[in-house]
Amino acid sequence: MAEKRKVRISDISNPNIYPLAEVGPNNTIELPPPYDKLENLPGFKKLSESARQAVDDSLDGVVAVGVPKPKTPEEEQELVEKFISGLIKLFSKENNWTFLQPLLLTMEHCAKCQTCAEECPIFEASGYEEIYRPTYRAEVLRRLYFKYVKPGSPLLKKFQVGDIELNWTLISRLIELSYRCTICRRCAQACPIGIDNGLITHELRKLFSQELGIAAKELHEKGTVQQLLVGSSTGMTPEVVKDNVSFIDEDLSERLGIKVESKWDVPNADYLLIHNAGEFLSWPENPAAFAILLDAAGIKWTYSSELVGYDGVNYGVWYDDFQLARVAQKHFEIAKKLGVKGIIMGECGHESKSMGIIAERIFGNEIKTINAMTLVEQIVFSGKIKFDPERNNFPVTLHDPCNIVRLMGIVEPQRRVLRYLAPKFREMEPHGVENYCCGGGSGFAVMTPYNFLDWRMHISGRKKFKQILDAFKDEPPGPEVPKYVCAPCSNCKGQIRDILDYYGAKEKSGIYYGGLVELVVNAMVDLKEPFIDFSMM
Amino acid sequence: MEFLHFAFYFGLVIFLILVISKAIKIATAPVHLRWELYPVAHEKGKAHYGGSYLEEFEWWTKPLKKDLLGELWTMFQEIVLLKGVWEHNRSLWFGSAPFHYALYLYIASTLLIFLGLIFGVTPDNVDFQTSWFPQFLNILLWLASILGIIGAIVLLFKRIFDENLRLYSNPSHYFNILLIGMLYVTSLVWLLNSENAIGEFFGFYKSAFTFSSLPEIPVIGYIHLYLLSFFLFYLPFTHMTHFFMKYFTYHKVRWDDEPNFPNSKIRKRLMEQLNFPVQWSAPHIGADGRKTWVVIATSPLPIKENKNG
Ligand code: SF4
Ligand code: SF4
Repeated sequence: MAEKRKVRISDISNPNIYPLAEVGPNNTIELPPPYDKLENLPGFKKLSESARQAVDDSLDGVVAVGVPKPKTPEEEQELVEKFISGLIKLFSKENNWTFLQPLLLTMEHCAKCQTCAEECPIFEASGYEEIYRPTYRAEVLRRLYFKYVKPGSPLLKKFQVGDIELNWTLISRLIELSYRCTICRRCAQACPIGIDNGLITHELRKLFSQELGIAAKELHEKGTVQQLLVGSSTGMTPEVVKDNVSFIDEDLSERLGIKVESKWDVPNADYLLIHNAGEFLSWPENPAAFAILLDAAGIKWTYSSELVGYDGVNYGVWYDDFQLARVAQKHFEIAKKLGVKGIIMGECGHESKSMGIIAERIFGNEIKTINAMTLVEQIVFSGKIKFDPERNNFPVTLHDPCNIVRLMGIVEPQRRVLRYLAPKFREMEPHGVENYCCGGGSGFAVMTPYNFLDWRMHISGRKKFKQILDAFKDEPPGPEVPKYVCAPCSNCKGQIRDILDYYGAKEKSGIYYGGLVELVVNAMVDLKEPFIDFSMM
Repeated sequence: MEFLHFAFYFGLVIFLILVISKAIKIATAPVHLRWELYPVAHEKGKAHYGGSYLEEFEWWTKPLKKDLLGELWTMFQEIVLLKGVWEHNRSLWFGSAPFHYALYLYIASTLLIFLGLIFGVTPDNVDFQTSWFPQFLNILLWLASILGIIGAIVLLFKRIFDENLRLYSNPSHYFNILLIGMLYVTSLVWLLNSENAIGEFFGFYKSAFTFSSLPEIPVIGYIHLYLLSFFLFYLPFTHMTHFFMKYFTYHKVRWDDEPNFPNSKIRKRLMEQLNFPVQWSAPHIGADGRKTWVVIATSPLPIKENKNG
């Protein structure tokens, strides 16, 4: 069979190549049995005819954003013009001071050595499809930047970076392509020059959102917009969240035989605790474990029932600087009003990064933020609580959320806790700052439109699934021994839940997942009943 | 003035002006939001595993300690050993390392020639046939030329025959390698053809910096020095400016973990930037070209929820 022609950079504007790349289940990353047979796995869902008529799927047959097809040539032209105006703003200091310096450095100095390519789990899992190569989308943007923004002779610019035709097809495909990278920045870590192709994804998404008003629905409409207007990206209003939490408290108090008590709007509390609100709906044991632990440690804490104050989610960090700032500003304002010493950020990677370091640059650090990893370590080793590590006598491995580990350098606190409280703890390989993303990064974990879930499971999540399986390879392979993936991040937990469900790993291999604080509470001597109950997971 | 002198001055002046202005432009670019990437080399006691001061409970109550030696060591490994390429792209390292080492050696020998001129160690007052200094320079230039040619050949072959590189290469990439390769070919031929090549190098630089007439130089010397002048002129227009921009990609982005404390320099600059007027057009931004960044970021969302969405 003749070898497939590789996609070129300039192909992105050629509407006659349809789709630009064909992507589907493949075995480039081999999984051990019983997951090694592709035919036993669900394939990619075919898009319905009506969906294909309505939205553009010409990038790879997958749809994450769903750019509506234009009805007239004028509409096409309008998109192109808006794109150019956004492109110019992206490179202006007034409009994009937030990332201009790293963006310019990345645009001007890539040596095209491809050292970064091998490090991308998506590129690898796709069977090395060119469109997913870390430099592919960067190259497209680079050519557009040279052509439409950077001054100089057109001939020289073509000689330097090559040419590209800007049309509707390119923009539509680039919008989708900016949602095929998890912004894990593993590629950037490998680049000897310090070029950041993950940043390019981030900046492209911003251009599309801030100028064209186009973003993944789950991040924008259902995400930050809903959060700012209704209170939470989950859609929970203050009344609903309070109701839900009191139900969780009652339920767990009954089951565990100790009082689980969440507190709301407590005056004079020391800390405001903000979880990713998804925890209340999907993993209520996590906030409950926090409540138990903080009370046992004698910490005076409270939740806030103000709009946005009970949801630490900040999807703006992945696609829109202004939405990021608006949400973060609300968090800080609420903490100030409550008069607390600081904010405790729950087990959520992007909450920790957006509030702890990114928004800190915008608004200053008068309101202190405490990340869950260091707080849990502090409590565990404070001597205030008695633990029996034998209660966690099952195999445990740790997933390193990119936002907390590679992008904040919080590596050891969670490990020190696990080495103490989980006797059968083992690392994934590689781990720490060299970890692989769960595949749900940059918002993917909450995105399931059209056939995007299939892509997430087969392409962006496959490497992580292999790592999880490998971490437990010395254990009995079946479900008789429960195995625990500790993922101290709501977003990662969402993705790992989906992977384990998709591949049937709970039934086939007994693999479960949860946060860090659940393991800590499970080891508390004061608890009569085990906190972690595999039969209920 | 000889034409070669003119070409050299022109190349050098353009090189200096553009490199300095580019460095100023990027150094004075606005303070960006934090976007560090671990390991951060100056994290004292933590850099070896990629940890940060954020691992400390209530980190702001503790002094922030920077490990400048650690930072220097990391830079040394990156610049001298090309550690990143070695670890992540071994086959390329065998081309990239000789290519870069050749540049280092060539630059070192040129700097030594300048030092020789400054301190009077020149063919006029030292016997270049017996003195160790020119012999040492001779070795440096030989090594530079040979390594440079090997590096250029390996890199050229890789760019041509490795599809992963070829698909992302532009005419400029081949041209750059050929240009630098030719620089070494001509220096090697010069060294081979002339017993006194080092003395001739000295002669050229002396005449250039004392504005005196050009000494006798063989044709190959002319070709080499014209190529060098062109290279100096051309370099700032290419991505090869990464030789100094790497300082910014590492120190100002990857390793920039500075907190925004009150009264800090960062805070001052940020206050200015927060007042930049914004023009983004999407309706949810609510910009009008006059409202400032901070006003937009702290105002309520200018749109209603789409209930049908
Ligand atoms: S981003 Fe870095 S590693 Fe990747 S091609 Fe460019 S210079 Fe090479
Ligand atoms: S940021 Fe991560 S997912 Fe995106 S291109 Fe780089 S390695 Fe791949």
